[in-house]
Amino acid sequence: GRGRGGKPAGRGAKGGSNVILEPHRHAGIFVAKGKEQLLVTKNLVPGESVYGEKRIAIEGPKDADGTAAKTEYRVWNPFRSKLAAGVLGGLDNIYIAPGKKVLYLGAASGTSVSHVADIVGPEGVVYAVEFSHRSGRDLINMAKKRTNVIPIVEDARHPAKYRMLLSLVDVIFSDVAQPDQARIVALNADYFLKNQGHAVISIKANCIDSTMPAEQVFANEVQLLKTMKFKPMEQLTLEPYERDHAMLCARYERNA
Amino acid sequence: MAPTHVLLESASGYAVFQSKLYEEIGSRTGEVQKSINDFAKFSKMVTLISFLPFKSAAHALENANDISEGILNDHLRSLLEMVLTQSSAKNKIVLAVADKTLATSIKTALGIQCEIDEGLDLIRGVRLHADRLLKGLEAGDIEKAQLGLGHSYSRAKIKFNVNRSDNMII
Repeated sequence: GRGRGGKPAGRGAKGGSNVILEPHRHAGIFVAKGKEQLLVTKNLVPGESVYGEKRIAIEGPKDADGTAAKTEYRVWNPFRSKLAAGVLGGLDNIYIAPGKKVLYLGAASGTSVSHVADIVGPEGVVYAVEFSHRSGRDLINMAKKRTNVIPIVEDARHPAKYRMLLSLVDVIFSDVAQPDQARIVALNADYFLKNQGHAVISIKANCIDSTMPAEQVFANEVQLLKTMKFKPMEQLTLEPYERDHAMLCARYERNA
Repeated sequence: MAPTHVLLESASGYAVFQSKLYEEIGSRTGEVQKSINDFAKFSKMVTLISFLPFKSAAHALENANDISEGILNDHLRSLLEMVLTQSSAKNKIVLAVADKTLATSIKTALGIQCEIDEGLDLIRGVRLHADRLLKGLEAGDIEKAQLGLGHSYSRAKIKFNVNRSDNMII
């Protein structure tokens, strides 16, 4: 499939001394600079890919007896993950960082969720909600290895149904591609989002209204969120990675 | 109506809190919201009356399934009977419940008055501070319970075999 490395299985992608690793502006995300620049996250489960993505082992500084510890990173493809596209597109803040609790709506098979799990790390938690049973099965299997992911196969339209599984969260990330996405995010926020917490929402214009220009759809969604205790912070189109998609960040102001 | 009590359904068990000093009007003001976020202040707004843990993973799953459907499980019923219906002030009790269907089930079965909308901020508060409010739990215990329950709840929802070896359709 796409993104599979050329090296034999089990050895991971090429790394070593010719690749330099730099922290990205957003904590928990890194950039691997070799022949090309790649967005990467630190693999929570070294030695394994989740969906066939490339892995890169980077040598740390050499210790006294000349051996260097290797740390493994997984390549995060902006053409496959809207959050990665948003990061490369230059979002000011994604609010997802080490130690954070994230409610991820529209988790699908868990490919992007696995990178979010890498970012929040062992001290963070990702509550991953997916309604489709077929995708949910892959999500559960991914979560078996990543114990900071709590899989929830349930309808995000009915947050009360899964309230026993959640604490209050710092961020809601939503990629549900439903016409009533804003309402779904707001319902979940009322139950689970901390006051002054954030929502990061991926909007596909076609899914909301295919008869209107994309820009108009985005503007309408922003207005709608304002009526639901959200203060819009940032809006970014996901070109060139996705067409007619926008990433919208907003702050939840419960006292508004 | 301002709730006198709060019900929290957590992955570890059920808890009932008594609410004090809760300002009915203006619960959405910045000041009140700040107090809810601040454990020192919020812990003066509610007191834990009783925490009833689940007996096993299977027991937790059975309760999670009932909660998601708004059904009053016997385990929850026994807790509410014990701490709320025997009180002499039973008529004055207003229980904050997170979901309308469960509220109706509780009211029908036990005659306890329930409140959905005005109880939400209190429920958010106990959910936020649950690991410190629930006696006997250590940091991380709730997440462990959520993880186990999340897997069993989700696996039960899925009709396919989780091991990806679907039965072939012949």
